[in-house]
Amino acid sequence: MNPTLEKTTVPPGKSLKAVLFYAALLVTALIWFAPVITLVLTALKDAGDFAVNGAFSLPKSIRWSNFSEAWETGVQNYFWNSVIVTSIKVPVGIVLESLAAFALTHMHFKWADRIFTYILIGLIVPIQMTLVPLTLLMNALNLIDTLTGLTILYIGFGVPFGVLVMRGFFRTIPIAIIEAARLDGASWFRIFYRIALPLALPAVISLSILDGVATWNEFILAQIFLRSDELRTLPLGLVQFSTQFSTQYDQLAAAVLISVAPIVLLFLFFQRYFITGMRGAVK
Amino acid sequence: MPTSKPRENTKQPARGTLPSPKASDDHLRFLPWLFLAPALLIYTVIVVYPMIYSSYLSLFRWDGISPKKVFVGLQNYLTLITQNEVFWIALKNNAVWLVAALLLPTSIGLGFALLLNSKFRGSHIFRSIFYFPAVLSLAVVGLIWTWIYHPDLGLLNQALTASGLPGWRRNWLSDPQIALYPVIIAATWNAVGLPMLLFLAGLQTVPEELLEAAKIDGAGPIRRFVHVTFPLLRETTLIVLAITAINALKAYDIVYAMTNGGPANRTQLLSTWMYFLTYNYNTVGQGTAIAVILFLITLVFAVPYIRFMTRKA
Repeated sequence: MNPTLEKTTVPPGKSLKAVLFYAALLVTALIWFAPVITLVLTALKDAGDFAVNGAFSLPKSIRWSNFSEAWETGVQNYFWNSVIVTSIKVPVGIVLESLAAFALTHMHFKWADRIFTYILIGLIVPIQMTLVPLTLLMNALNLIDTLTGLTILYIGFGVPFGVLVMRGFFRTIPIAIIEAARLDGASWFRIFYRIALPLALPAVISLSILDGVATWNEFILAQIFLRSDELRTLPLGLVQFSTQFSTQYDQLAAAVLISVAPIVLLFLFFQRYFITGMRGAVK
Repeated sequence: MPTSKPRENTKQPARGTLPSPKASDDHLRFLPWLFLAPALLIYTVIVVYPMIYSSYLSLFRWDGISPKKVFVGLQNYLTLITQNEVFWIALKNNAVWLVAALLLPTSIGLGFALLLNSKFRGSHIFRSIFYFPAVLSLAVVGLIWTWIYHPDLGLLNQALTASGLPGWRRNWLSDPQIALYPVIIAATWNAVGLPMLLFLAGLQTVPEELLEAAKIDGAGPIRRFVHVTFPLLRETTLIVLAITAINALKAYDIVYAMTNGGPANRTQLLSTWMYFLTYNYNTVGQGTAIAVILFLITLVFAVPYIRFMTRKA
């Protein structure tokens, strides 16, 4: 009865059911996505339009300059700070985490289970438990209000999740492969970077993405350990931006969109890695 | 690889059966430590040592600056419990948040997973839409929902007026009676993605034949879910509940971005109140005591979780 449905794979007898199913799904998706749609619409209209017609109406005229204005007003600074921190934290973290995870899975290490449990504690610690001593430590090392200091903290806090994901993957590498290489006289380090790491490439990509997103989004450590405006990372800068320009919804929305753009791109192109990475973390 | 769980590495064969390719096998005992050293060192310095030191600091009265710390034993904990009203508000809010987190993201995530589990045209697009909020930072989620709750221009109040319910309009985030709930809803929007993915993975391990057999026996969709699917999701459900509980107790950013604990401290959580006590009021002893209490509460959910993660074959 509905001409568009004939093109789908649904058998004709089920078409009414299918219509209802899709309708329910579409309504749910629309409600679920309304905040994002609102955000995009707000970023595209000028503040006056927003004030008169509210959030969910189509823009009277599209105002791209919101993006350039937000970018100029400081978002570019926050953006590049986030890029610097993320692009150092993620690769360094993954090297440390995979080395550790390899030792815990393949090196016949009798303390492996105990060390793994010790590392897992980090997954459950409320970050508030660490803030005061870290403030003292960072102060003593002169690392307060530096991107270096923040990056070091991120690497430390990333260890538990990274080890968990990499260990989960290394466990699936058949032990026979490792032992064959041992018999051929390969050193452990060589086995690690010539055999284990290449085999674990999907896990490395998954972890890079999950870790990159987590670093990009991190708020509380940045809030406590960065003091000057020009060093702020995006989440912190945006919250600051929102208190400073509380009425300029159009620019703030544009700023938010700029901040999520890299993540959206990652998500669109590497979606399956989000999923395998998350599953790896619980297996 | 959701179904295969190789376990060969947790228990190695006895030492003697291993190939020992080098005569100098003895130095190999130190080699694992060498591989572990960088990660263990930075993790210990950044995470573990501060935890222990925080617990120690919670026994002192200290302003965070002066060189003198006064040992007061458990006084900070007593002060919080007996004299700090906001501590109790925060504790109650954490409890409400926790219950909401155990109910809402888990059941919505399960619902989405069941919807998406059947392969239909466009299912991956819907999966992206439903998962998307989970990749946003909580600060951004907080900002977006702050607009939605805006008393005049916000989508929620406008939608209420448009659907003929203007009497339901509220000043969502500035009404002390209700402000916590809109924040929880915003957090839920972000928290659904992970349970959804985990449940989707779990659903794929449910054997099709079992469901078919139940269908042939005349079980409707609801009975099939209750008696076949859900029992098989038991393990997934436990992981989901543990992770959402642990994450719920970590909530901080979104409250900071949306209400900063206000109005009148009505949306404080232990995590945000810890920040106020430590960095605004310079009562470091009480701040760290709150952190310790928060950690102890987390342990209730975390101990079974860690047991599960480190389980033997």
